[in-house]
Formats: sequence, structure tokens, C-alpha cells
Amino acid sequence: MMEVSSLSATYPNGFNAVKRADLNLASGKMLALVGESGSGKSTLIYACLGLLPKGSKVSGKVLFDQIDFLALPQESQRRIRWKKVSLILQGTMNSFTPVLTIKRQFLETMEEHLKLTQREAEAKAAGLLEEVGLDDGFLSRYPHEMSGGQKQRCAIAMALCCDPDYLLADEPTTALDVITQAEIMNLLKSIVRRRNMGMLMVTHDLALASSTADEICVMYQGCTIETERSDVIIRSPKQPHTIALVKSLSMMEE
Amino acid sequence: MTKEVAAVENLTLIFDKSYAPALADVSFYLKERESLSLVGESGSGKTSLLRLLLGLLRPSSGKARLFGQPLDGMDEKELRSIRRKCSYIPQDPFGGLPPTLNPLQAVIEPLIITRSNLKDVETEKAKKLLSSLGIEEALWERKLIQGFSGGQRQRIMLARALVTDPELLLADEPTSMQDASTRMDLINLLKAYLKKGMSLIFVTHDLLLAKAMTQRGIVLYRGRVCETGPTDLLLRDPLHPYTKALVSALPKLGKPVEVKVKRKTLPTGFKGCSYFALCPYGFDRCKDLPPLKQLGERSVACFIGDTFQET
Amino acid sequence: MSFWRLDTLFLTFLVLLTFIVSPMLGPANETVAPPFCKPLWLDPASGRPLSLNAKDNILSFTWESKPPKAFSVKGTVSFEEVPKDAALLLVSPKKTYKLMDLAGLKNLDVDIDSRDVPLKLHLGLNPFVEVSSVIFSEKGTYSLYVRSDVKAHVNLNINIYTGKWGIFGTDQRGRDVFRLFVQGIKISLLVGIFATLIASTIGMGLGLIAGYLGGLTDSSIMRTVDVLLAIPTLPILVVISGVWGRGLWQIVLVLSIFSWMGTARVVRSLTLSLREAPYVEGLRALGAPAGYILVRHFIPEALPLLLAQTVLGVPGAILAEAGLSFLGLSDPLMPSWGRMLHEAQVFGAFTGGAWWLIFPPGLGIASLCLAFISIGRRFEEMADPRLKEMTGR
Repeated sequence: MMEVSSLSATYPNGFNAVKRADLNLASGKMLALVGESGSGKSTLIYACLGLLPKGSKVSGKVLFDQIDFLALPQESQRRIRWKKVSLILQGTMNSFTPVLTIKRQFLETMEEHLKLTQREAEAKAAGLLEEVGLDDGFLSRYPHEMSGGQKQRCAIAMALCCDPDYLLADEPTTALDVITQAEIMNLLKSIVRRRNMGMLMVTHDLALASSTADEICVMYQGCTIETERSDVIIRSPKQPHTIALVKSLSMMEE
Repeated sequence: MTKEVAAVENLTLIFDKSYAPALADVSFYLKERESLSLVGESGSGKTSLLRLLLGLLRPSSGKARLFGQPLDGMDEKELRSIRRKCSYIPQDPFGGLPPTLNPLQAVIEPLIITRSNLKDVETEKAKKLLSSLGIEEALWERKLIQGFSGGQRQRIMLARALVTDPELLLADEPTSMQDASTRMDLINLLKAYLKKGMSLIFVTHDLLLAKAMTQRGIVLYRGRVCETGPTDLLLRDPLHPYTKALVSALPKLGKPVEVKVKRKTLPTGFKGCSYFALCPYGFDRCKDLPPLKQLGERSVACFIGDTFQET
Repeated sequence: MSFWRLDTLFLTFLVLLTFIVSPMLGPANETVAPPFCKPLWLDPASGRPLSLNAKDNILSFTWESKPPKAFSVKGTVSFEEVPKDAALLLVSPKKTYKLMDLAGLKNLDVDIDSRDVPLKLHLGLNPFVEVSSVIFSEKGTYSLYVRSDVKAHVNLNINIYTGKWGIFGTDQRGRDVFRLFVQGIKISLLVGIFATLIASTIGMGLGLIAGYLGGLTDSSIMRTVDVLLAIPTLPILVVISGVWGRGLWQIVLVLSIFSWMGTARVVRSLTLSLREAPYVEGLRALGAPAGYILVRHFIPEALPLLLAQTVLGVPGAILAEAGLSFLGLSDPLMPSWGRMLHEAQVFGAFTGGAWWLIFPPGLGIASLCLAFISIGRRFEEMADPRLKEMTGR
């Protein structure tokens, strides 16, 4: 279980992006963190993994299976990142090194975190690609030879390479077209179920969240204001901001 | 008989002969006070279509007409006077506004260029537009465009497009960077202008948004027309497999997403249906290009439509 | 980012020096002391030079420092009647020295310098001895007076030279090097800033036109740039200053003509990229003239970069002017730093070890250039992020 309690994060320039955040993520479940631009949702993910820029102030507790992450020294934090908790950031699919093949990028990541021989690493990479729906021909491709959806699948595969228990994703489907978006969301959901992982997904799209996630947590102006099962929150939202969000969406669907 | 505002016939646009055409055999028409959506993903050619209509691109073949005048033989002067009746909102909010002006200057600028003698009157109009789009009054003359976020820039672009009271608005994804709450403000403002008699060609990838804004829609895939018809029918009863996929891929509140696509690689030199690479129904016949069949107020370009009855 | 950093502080200090302190010092070309005096602070014990005027019969002064290098007594003595016995005496604590015999004439001009050999012989000293070190060997009170049997009107100046003068010493003509240095700041700044401003304006104008219009205009402007860049600047500058003369504004003009090319290239490439922005297409579609787009939009967008380029170009102009002056091609009356170095070289300061003639102008040029480069780099950093903002979220 990943527990975040009373998290607050302030950037070095004094901007208090996250005022108070509480959430719980159980294994095998997908939790969507929904908020508009400026609500602090991306900051929250970075703060949970200690990835905010130097000079930021973070207070509160982030527990991964009872391990207090923020209280750990830098070295221990590094060891937990990617092995226990991995990350897919906004624009990950555009941050592949353009001059290396996918295989090399996989091997680089796996060599950094696990200690496998080349043969083992290659086999594992092929297996991961298959899991995300790509055939192993993709190992020898360069990033510019793949479409957005394919790159995102690779990013997901790399995030899974150390078999983490938790996956944090920031807007994983924003730049993709609707059909690919649907495919990726279904892929993520099947991965979560199959591996019994906990996944926290940040998005601004309430409709997308409600159609895939088990639970939705709404964030507004730096605070987590409402957390509920997705079908419940759609049918009967309680907080005024949530009500407004649901209303504007259902207006569109009429 | 209502006047024709915009029309294209069998428009084809080829950028590079070794690639598929950006637009292939596209036709549509738009009458006064009508609104039309061009629905498609990136690569569908929808942006190129808008630029063609404005005369910023020349088609490789086919015809385009603005306000009944063919764009073909027009000289610069005629083109300019026709363009002044239109407004264009480009897709990229970071290149679509001059970064060194403040919002008020940016909105008034089209007026200065075209009708400088009316500037004082129109300044009031500009201010009203800015405030109805949620741009703080204190920032109108204080902050430069380059200090605004993408969503705010989009709203300023909309004000800049509407301030000249255009007869035809060509909008390319004008709400892509808005949050759900601010999107309604823009939609309502556009609807108000539609009511006043403006015609609209609205480019989007979101079928729901298309339905909210326009009466008719054209679904494009890789430069070809897949389906046309009233937007609510496109949503309720899609005929083309691509439209069906788009509709089913739309995240709906509380309902899981099921997309039926079958990805396959196309053999080189394939000249059949452009959607074959994803179509779950693709069969042998699709190796030939399916013609656009008219079915009353709708049309479909798919061989599955052979089974449809002509109404 | 705070405005006051070392570079801006230094620049402000120099500007204050040249515009406020310099007028207070007096004309730079004035001879104030013997030639090649070393700076005073090297040897404070040697004492400040004295210059005293004796209007009455007796002038008393104290000398508490090391023996000076030289002294001179100049002026006039006139008697009411022709004296039978008159002499000019210098009384030291130990001895009295008769400097000159004044008898026999009613009006006399006195011009005694301690380095004169006749004086040495008159005093009974060896011609190779330093008179002043003999006379002023004691610390104490000295007097200069005219002893005569008739009333005398005295107007004498006694100048005691210690071989040290001022903050930076003196040059080969006895001019105060510090005054020259401070005036030189003004020359360098004027030439540097004006030449670069004019060059930048030309460069920006041509760069915008070339980038926006393209085609033949672009090609012809760029080929002109290539040709001008290929011409070696210094030889041409030498020739032109030979033909046009050596004034300050000639140099400014010549430097402008040969340094606009870099700015033109940079502005042209910026214009090429700005031209592709969708809003430019929109403005053209509406019928906005090219001039409007260039002036109203491109120039404001180019301004940060242009500012950085201009400031970074100033050191080049300063160095070019210094180089020209060093070769002797500048106005001799213009106290530029390069000129100071030229005169130092010509009059043997480099070999003679007169370092106070070399280091002030040399270090002045180097530090002024460094200050401008440092400020220019800050402008560059400010200009760049703005260009990068186009990528958005």
C-alpha cells in the first residue's frame, strides 16, 4: 500500500504548489489523480519520489509498504526508485535518446538497476515488449522510427523492467490520438491487474479517469478534496468543485 | 437560396510524391450561417485543408471557393479583400500570437491593419471580448503575450479572431489547452457568434466537441473523407469503421473504453482504403479505394456501406 | 538578477572617474613635473615635491624627507639700485650655499637647475655629484634668501623634484599619467560604444531585410558580408586613417563600417526563424506590409539578442581603436590609452623599465573589455531563455 499523508510541497521560488495532499493506493488498483492545470497534481508525483528541484521544501509522509520514503537518505531513495516505484513522466515518449536503439536504452536502464548479463537482459527486454504489445523487432528500432503510441508502450515497458510494485504516471496519454489513448489505457489496466501493482495516474481528463480507474482523487488548488470510487464520484460528487467538473462533462455529452 | 460561404471540390494536396497525399479527393460545401466540423487525428490533413481555404496553400488538383469566388485565379488584392471577411485561429497557441505585444494590442491589431479608422470604437469591443474570455483586466496592458500560459493564449487568440466580426471563422483546435471548466466559456462565446450569423469551420479530434459546436461533420483519416453527416448521427450511429472506433474510444463518464482495432502493416504500394491498417473488418475488396457513397444527408466511403440502404 | 555586480560597479566607477573626477584634475596635456617620475606611493619617504614661491626676501621651508632628485630656482630679482654685493643663498641646517652671484645688475633673471654643471662647479662640487643630495642631506629647516646691500624685489619659484609624482607618475613630457589615464577612459568608451551602436544599427537593418525578403536581396547582402569579412581589418584601417585623417570620429566611422557584419548574420538567421511563425502568416494574409511586420514585431523580438550582441561588440571596437593608436595613427592631442602605449614604446619605456607608463593603460584596456564582455554575457543569458519559451508546456 502506498500512503501519502499531509503532503505539502513548495518550490524554491516560494510557490506552494501542494498545500495538503492525502491519498492511499492499494496493490492491484488504479487510482487517478484528477485536477485542472495549476492544481498541483504533477508536483505531487514529483514530491512523492523526492524529485523536486533543489531547494524545494517537502513536508509530510510518503510510505511505500511502510517505508517512509522522504525520511530516507539520498542513496536509499535511489535504490527504491525504479525497483519498488517506477515513473512515467509527461513527455517520456519524447525523451528517448535519439541515437540509441531501443535495445540499448533498455539494457542501459537494466544495467543501472539490476545486475543481469547481456543475454538475460535481452531476453527480459523482449518479454517486456511482448507484454506491452510490441514484437521484439522493435528492439532494433530507433525512436524516430516509431509512432507516439509505440514509444509510449516502450516507455511503459522500461518502467516495468525492474518489476516494481507501484507505477506513477503523469498524463501518460495526453499527446496521443483517441484510439491509441484507449489502447494504452486498457494496456495499463491489464498490467495493473496481472502484476498486482498499484498505479497512480495523473490526468486532467475526468472522463478518461472515470472510464479506466478504480478510484478517483480530485485535486483543487493544491489540496486533495475528494477521493472516491470512480462510479460513485460520477454519480454523486460531494465537493462543489467536483460537482462542477462532472457537470461540465455531462453537458458535453448531451 | 442561401449563399455559399466556402466550398471545395475533389481537392487533392500532395507535398511529397513519395508519401501519401496530405489530402485526397476531398469535397464539402458550407452555406451561410452553417457550421461544419472537420474531425480527424494529426496527419488527417485537416490543418492543411484550412490553409488551403485561405489561399495560403495551392492545391495540387481540385477547386476551392470562398464566398462563391474560385481561389484559383485570384490576384493578391482580391484574395486580401476576401480574407478580411474570414478569421483564422491556428493550432499552435505559442506561434499564433506575436509575443511582444500585450493582450489588448494583440486583439486590436487585425483592426489596425484592416480598418484603422474605426480603431477607437473597436477598442471597446476588444476589451469586452477579453473580459468575457476571462483575461484579467489588470493584465490587458501590463503583461506581454510571452508571459501567458498556453490556455490563456488560446483565449486571446479567440478574441483576436472574433474582434473583426468575421463572416467565416476557421478554427483549428481552439480549445485544446483548456480545462473542462474554461472550455464551456469558449464554446458559449462561439455559439453566441454563431447565433449572430457567423459561419464556422471547426477542426478537432474530439467528436463530442464537434457535436457541441457544429451541426455537420466530416471525418477525415489520412487525407481522405471517411464519413460525413450530422454530428449527432455521427455519434449515435457511426457507419464507417473509423468513426466507430473514434466513438468507442471516447472516454465516457463511468463507462469502460472498448476499442475495436486490428493493427496490421500495409504492403508497399497499397492503394486501397486508407483505414485498412487499423480496420477490424478489412477484407479483400478493401484493396481498391472505396468510393464516397451518398446516403441522404450522410455519406460513407467504405465497402461495408454496400449493405446500407439508400434512403 | 541584481544589477550591481563587479562588472557594472567597475564600469560605473570608470564613468564617474572620467566625467566627474577628470575635470577637477586639470588639463591632461599640461607639464606638471619632470619627465619619467615614478608613482609617489612607491617611496613615500622620498616626499612630495615642493613648489614654493618667494615673494619676500626670505623663504623658509622644512624638508623632512630623503634628499630630492633635483631642484630648481626660477624667477626674477630686481634691485632698486645696482647692488654692489648681492647673492642668492640657500641655507641648510648645516651650511649655507651660495647659488648665484647677483651683483652688478639691476634686474636679473634667475634660472638655476641643480643638474646644471656650471652650478656644480660654482659650488665646488665634482660634476658627477648630485647637487641636491649634497645640499639637502639634512632634515630640517631651509631658507632661500637674497642677501644684498640694497633693497630687492624678489619673485622666485623654488621647485624641489623628488623623482616621484602623483598616482601614476609622469610620462616623457612630464605630464601626469593619471590625468591622461582618466581622460583615456572617455575616449575608449566613446569610440567603443558609438562605433558598436552604429554598426549594430546597420547590421540589424540589413539583417532584417535580408532575412525577410530573401531571394536576390538576401544573396547580395550576404555576399557583401562575406567580402567585407574577408578583408583584413587592421591594414584597411591603417590605409583609411592615412587617407581620411586621424580624428576621433573618423575612427568611429571606420570601425562601424567594418563591424556590422556579425550582427547582420545573427539578425538574419533570427528573422528567418521568426518569419515562419503562424501569426506572421496571418498578418501577411490580412495585408500587413513588410515594414509593419519588421518594425512592429521582429525588432522587439530581436532586441534582447541585439543588445547582447552590441555589448559584446564594444570590446572589439575598443581594442581596434587601441591598436590603431598604438601604431601611431591617432590624433596626438587625443589622450587615448593606445596613444599612451604608443608613446611609451617610442620613448623607450618598455626597455627603460618605466612600467607606470605601460600598466595603467594596458590593464585599463583589458579590464574595460572584460567588464563589457561580462555584462554582454549576462544579456545573452537573458536573451536566450526568451527564445526557448516557444516550446511551451
